[in-house]
Amino acid sequence: MNKFLFLLLLSPGLSLAEDLKIEDPWIRAVPPSSKATAAFMTLVNKTDKPVLVTSGTCPIAGEIRPMVTTKQADGVMGMAFVESFSVPAHGSRVLEPGGDHIMLMKLKEVPKAGAIVPLVLATESGGEKGHVRLDLPVR
Amino acid sequence: MARTRQSDARSRRIGLILFAACMVVAVPTLIVLFSIAGKSSSPWFGQYDPDTHHAYNFSLTDQDGKTVRLVDLRGDAVLLAFGFTRCPNICPTTLGNLAAVYRKLPPAAQERTKVVFISVDERDTPASMKEYVPFFNDRFIGLTGAPADIGTTARAYGAFFRKADAVGSDKDDYMIDHSTYAHLIDPEGNLRVLYRFEQLPETEKITDDVLRVLGTQAPGKQP
Repeated sequence: MNKFLFLLLLSPGLSLAEDLKIEDPWIRAVPPSSKATAAFMTLVNKTDKPVLVTSGTCPIAGEIRPMVTTKQADGVMGMAFVESFSVPAHGSRVLEPGGDHIMLMKLKEVPKAGAIVPLVLATESGGEKGHVRLDLPVR
Repeated sequence: MARTRQSDARSRRIGLILFAACMVVAVPTLIVLFSIAGKSSSPWFGQYDPDTHHAYNFSLTDQDGKTVRLVDLRGDAVLLAFGFTRCPNICPTTLGNLAAVYRKLPPAAQERTKVVFISVDERDTPASMKEYVPFFNDRFIGLTGAPADIGTTARAYGAFFRKADAVGSDKDDYMIDHSTYAHLIDPEGNLRVLYRFEQLPETEKITDDVLRVLGTQAPGKQP
């Protein structure tokens, strides 16, 4: 019985949340007047298929979208929305300050340093939708 | 006797030729070696400008509604960056790093250092700057101005900006693409060091550069 349970737990595809491992997630504390902030983390894909992060939900934000940072040779930087972040099979993708990030917009409440904010990321892998629940410290 | 004199002259000539050949090889080699050594031991972390260029003397409005001109800051080191308060990623990263640079300065050097953030967004006002800039450090100076003055100032510092995509359905909720360099201006008002965005997290090295332009070298560090 125990052996059977153990094998069941090891079997692949049992839990969608395990497909995408999130390392060191956090939200940036921003000035009280801010209408947007960003979430950063490392997305690690343990599966054989690419995993997409498409959007998310969070009690403090009205809209959540993946955003990339663009940079030209002359130091001009900008940002652009993308449909999703693709995390390659058995690969990872870093979301970091000054780079790609999950944009939290239409803030209903501006996160303060030290708070913990729940965030659910919507994912897609091989046409199947999933989600990852996270608690992000604000710093 | 004549033969000896002749061979003396010849050996002297050979000696001269050898000496000249050595110099031809040695001098450029030494010049190259010295310049490499000079480069690697440059004390400056950012891109240092050895020429003296007066930085453009802007006249803009701070978060308290007071006019600030660059000449008013003579005697102080100035760290200067461009951005806008609705910027959710780049500007907070830049200002967070500059705040860390400022915190690492000894109190006497903090008194003589000004961090200036100039908005390239016509939606920004002294009021929006007051809500934004002191969040990073309450001594930082946030400047706004008439679009023409901001444009002239940005051009003078080689900074570029343009309106980008709207964030959502509201077309007034747009982003601005902008230059991400930070300038270090010396107490005489000269442009001295330029930092790329990627260099800004190395706050200790920038602190050393600030102390160097102030002429108050960090103890134990040779210029």
